[in-house]
Amino acid sequence: MKAVILAANQSEQLYPFTQTRPKPMMRIAGKYILENTIEYLREVGLRDIILVVNYKREMIQDYFAYGDQLGVKIEYVVQESMDGIGHALKLCEPLLGKKESFLLVYGDVLTDGNIFHEALKNYYEMGEEMAVVTLPKSSEKFGNVYLDHEMKIRRLIEKPQKGHNANYVFAGVFLLSSSFFQRLDKRQNDIELCFQDMIHENGLQATLWEKGWIDIIYPWHILEANRMMMRLWKEARIHHTVSMKDQVCIEGPVIIEEKVVIEAGSILKGPCFIGKNSYIGNNALIRRFSVLGPNSIIGYGTELKNCVLFGASNIGRLSFVGDSVVGENVKLGSGTTTVNHWPDFAPIQYHLSSESVDSGFKKLGAFIGDDVIIGARHTLGPGTIIESKKNIEDSITLSPNR
Amino acid sequence: MCGISGIVSSENIAKDLLNSLRCLEYRGYDSCGLAVLKDKKIIVRKNIGTVDEVNAKERLTHLMGNIGIGHTRWATHGGVTKENSHPHLSMNNQFAIVHNGIFSNYQELKEELVDKGVKFLSLTDSEVFAHLIEHAYEVCQDVEKAFIAALQRVEGSYGVAVLSYHEPQYIFCAKKDSPLILGLGEGRNFIASDINGFLEYTNKAITLDDDDYAIVSKDKYWIKNIATGQKVRKKPFTIEWDVETTKKGGYRHYMLKEIFDQPHTAKQALKIERSRIQGLAQMIQQSQNCYLVGVGTTYYVAIVGQYLFAQFLHRHVPVISSDEFHQTAILSENDMLLAISQSGETYDTKMAINYAQSFDAKTAAIVNVMGSSISMMVDQVIMQGSGPEICVVSTKAAFSQMLILLRVVIEVARVQKYITDDEYTVFYENLNDFPTILEATLNEQSGFVRNIAREAIHVHNWLFLGCGVYFPIAMESALKMKEVSYMHAEGMPAGFLKHGTLAMIDDKINTVVFVPPPDQKELYGRTLVAIEEVKARGGTVFGFTFDEDKKSEQLLDRMICLPKVHYLVAPLLEMVMAQLFSYYVALDLGRNIDKPRNLAKSVTVA
Repeated sequence: MKAVILAANQSEQLYPFTQTRPKPMMRIAGKYILENTIEYLREVGLRDIILVVNYKREMIQDYFAYGDQLGVKIEYVVQESMDGIGHALKLCEPLLGKKESFLLVYGDVLTDGNIFHEALKNYYEMGEEMAVVTLPKSSEKFGNVYLDHEMKIRRLIEKPQKGHNANYVFAGVFLLSSSFFQRLDKRQNDIELCFQDMIHENGLQATLWEKGWIDIIYPWHILEANRMMMRLWKEARIHHTVSMKDQVCIEGPVIIEEKVVIEAGSILKGPCFIGKNSYIGNNALIRRFSVLGPNSIIGYGTELKNCVLFGASNIGRLSFVGDSVVGENVKLGSGTTTVNHWPDFAPIQYHLSSESVDSGFKKLGAFIGDDVIIGARHTLGPGTIIESKKNIEDSITLSPNR
Repeated sequence: MCGISGIVSSENIAKDLLNSLRCLEYRGYDSCGLAVLKDKKIIVRKNIGTVDEVNAKERLTHLMGNIGIGHTRWATHGGVTKENSHPHLSMNNQFAIVHNGIFSNYQELKEELVDKGVKFLSLTDSEVFAHLIEHAYEVCQDVEKAFIAALQRVEGSYGVAVLSYHEPQYIFCAKKDSPLILGLGEGRNFIASDINGFLEYTNKAITLDDDDYAIVSKDKYWIKNIATGQKVRKKPFTIEWDVETTKKGGYRHYMLKEIFDQPHTAKQALKIERSRIQGLAQMIQQSQNCYLVGVGTTYYVAIVGQYLFAQFLHRHVPVISSDEFHQTAILSENDMLLAISQSGETYDTKMAINYAQSFDAKTAAIVNVMGSSISMMVDQVIMQGSGPEICVVSTKAAFSQMLILLRVVIEVARVQKYITDDEYTVFYENLNDFPTILEATLNEQSGFVRNIAREAIHVHNWLFLGCGVYFPIAMESALKMKEVSYMHAEGMPAGFLKHGTLAMIDDKINTVVFVPPPDQKELYGRTLVAIEEVKARGGTVFGFTFDEDKKSEQLLDRMICLPKVHYLVAPLLEMVMAQLFSYYVALDLGRNIDKPRNLAKSVTVA
């Protein structure tokens, strides 16, 4: 059986990060989403993987290549036009066996357990085409499915009415047979209609996923997914090449990769993650659910809390970064502070060019795109977005007379 | 409470036997083991843990043999150790036995055997049987005779199966007060504590009666009476459940599957022939006193029945928990007893029926499992047809029992002219619409229930409140919460609050209220008072409400708003949602949902 991962779409809603990288290349708990998905697939023995890519595909192809590093075999299919999931799947038909069933998975879904294990177990037991369904915290963005007592899907409602949306939804994992391509032909590659057909004909078998599940849509989902994954950590893991000076204090499950240097007086509270070759200056405070990507530098006296740094970032001394996502290769000048709540703790709005969304969070910091440089002593308000490659000068109150 | 199983075949049986144990696992799951016979040698492998754990430790599937017995244990006598798990071997390894039940006189027997020089390896009551039969064999040199001799020595309850290397083609088995069923396959035969043990392989079965024993080979079987040695003729019956319905399907837990099964179960309950319902209705009409008994969940089902009797028939029926029945029931031959039991093997309920029968009172029962003891011993039985309920915690069976009681009550009400034929028709229309509404509600509200449950996992103390018929619903829902989440939960009538319970209300205790539809003015008013009482003391209140209920919306901290339904089925709808709520709380707490700690499915011991 082969697995098809859909990783082609370009998402506006994950701005500013999707300016420079495809959606599945967000780093969650120290790992790319796609890396996580592929590892789950390998665990259940699915080593033949077809990746449908398009937007910023070089990044995916550079990192994963043919999959040798991860112990899998990856083939690439490029979907040049954005014609939807059905079309993406159709492009994979030549690479899939004529009579073989296959696993279809959306590239932006993250679970805190091996969802494929559950799906395959039920698939082999029942031998029917199947969709995994789950109960998300909020299902506004998804189509709702109705289940009967045999766990067959009997109805699929694309756009549920408001107030009627906390319901079962597709979890983005399907087990389909090759005959699904005939359905796609019949329905001009509209995958929703194909599912509707299956539901009307015979009911579509479902498997219920009850553990954690997050579809990464908005940037704060990165923080949410990060917490979900790090909650699973049970133990600390510190590479033998790590250098720690006097009185470094470590509590809880902390993962520190090779060649990290931590200066004296720093405190690390797990779960947190320090990627390889990072440097942490004196008296830094790294609090729960913080992720430092590889090659990061954290200056003296800096505090990090519930934040994701994709890597190669440089956070100047005496800064605070909390409830924030920081892209790769970002420089924050000394004294940068992210303000992570309004004085009255009002829910924080997120303003994109196309829409304004209520994040539902009372604490949310800044979202800083890749390759941003921010000068010293800036204060970033709750929900600030900084587009990638932006250059912001120092905030200076007194300048020398010239 | 344990499960026993055995297979005689011409092929290797280890895998099937293990599978059979897995299907019986809900009857007990602290240890298990297999004994197979090959080349005149009995091999026993057993250990503590669930079937799959023991299989991993002991490689049970690697056993070879055409005949074998197995056991999955729920400890009563002797702790959970490898030695105490079954099967037990006799001293010279000539016999292996598995036993479900309790030998009440095992202490005397054990002393006697120890005097004869027998060394006991375990602390169980069961082991005596292996030694008894071996000793008897030494005298008579005949396995069947030795088996009978041993059976005649033991007292108490048993379902027992014996493997002997002297008779390598046969399994000897017998039962008294514990269930045992033969399954008849093609070229192979089965024995098991209940039909789940062999349902995957055959649907033809024979129930053994008390004091019967059977000798089973791969293509034949003989059933005889222990005392007389006479052959007993019995007709096999066909089981209508199929294997598929006992499988989990896409659900991770049987409990959720069974909750989602309820629309289907409701249809089944409504399909029960009217003549059956009328039969029971007639019996109730003719009786002077009608006692309702059940224990645990079924006791609350019986209380629901009590409210229905009062509401529709203006008649008070006493409800007594089965285990307390003989203490308080005053019976005469004009009285009747209506027992409710899912498994039909519940020890306490069986004893209550026995007690009623000793006064020549009439007996009837609502039972789910076909061929079970209770279904055989009562004068009239209504089979629920809910399909197998695997999760230890009862959901759909209780639900269906309530529906059946409802049908019985409105049947009597119509005959006795408490309701008109028109009302009767309206009731049935509403009942018939109910499964569809229930299915839609389960689907539409699951997410809301889940979200509320997610926030509630830190709560250690729960109070479940209801008025009128919603009171037993609250009790039942509290029991569900206890069973599956291990959290402290109390159910009580809403009016109870101010008579004591209010003292413990603070911000740490969460209250769940079953709010009736607003058009039931009296109940509704009283329920709202209770909510306000709790709110005034800073308590958190969750509520199940019905559409267009603006008043309680303002009072409640969290609510699940259900579609408007007829008042007849409204409590049932709220109960199903409460089941779902308990399920999700337990899920987020990581509990062993289908097999909660310290519990077993049908309690067949005293």
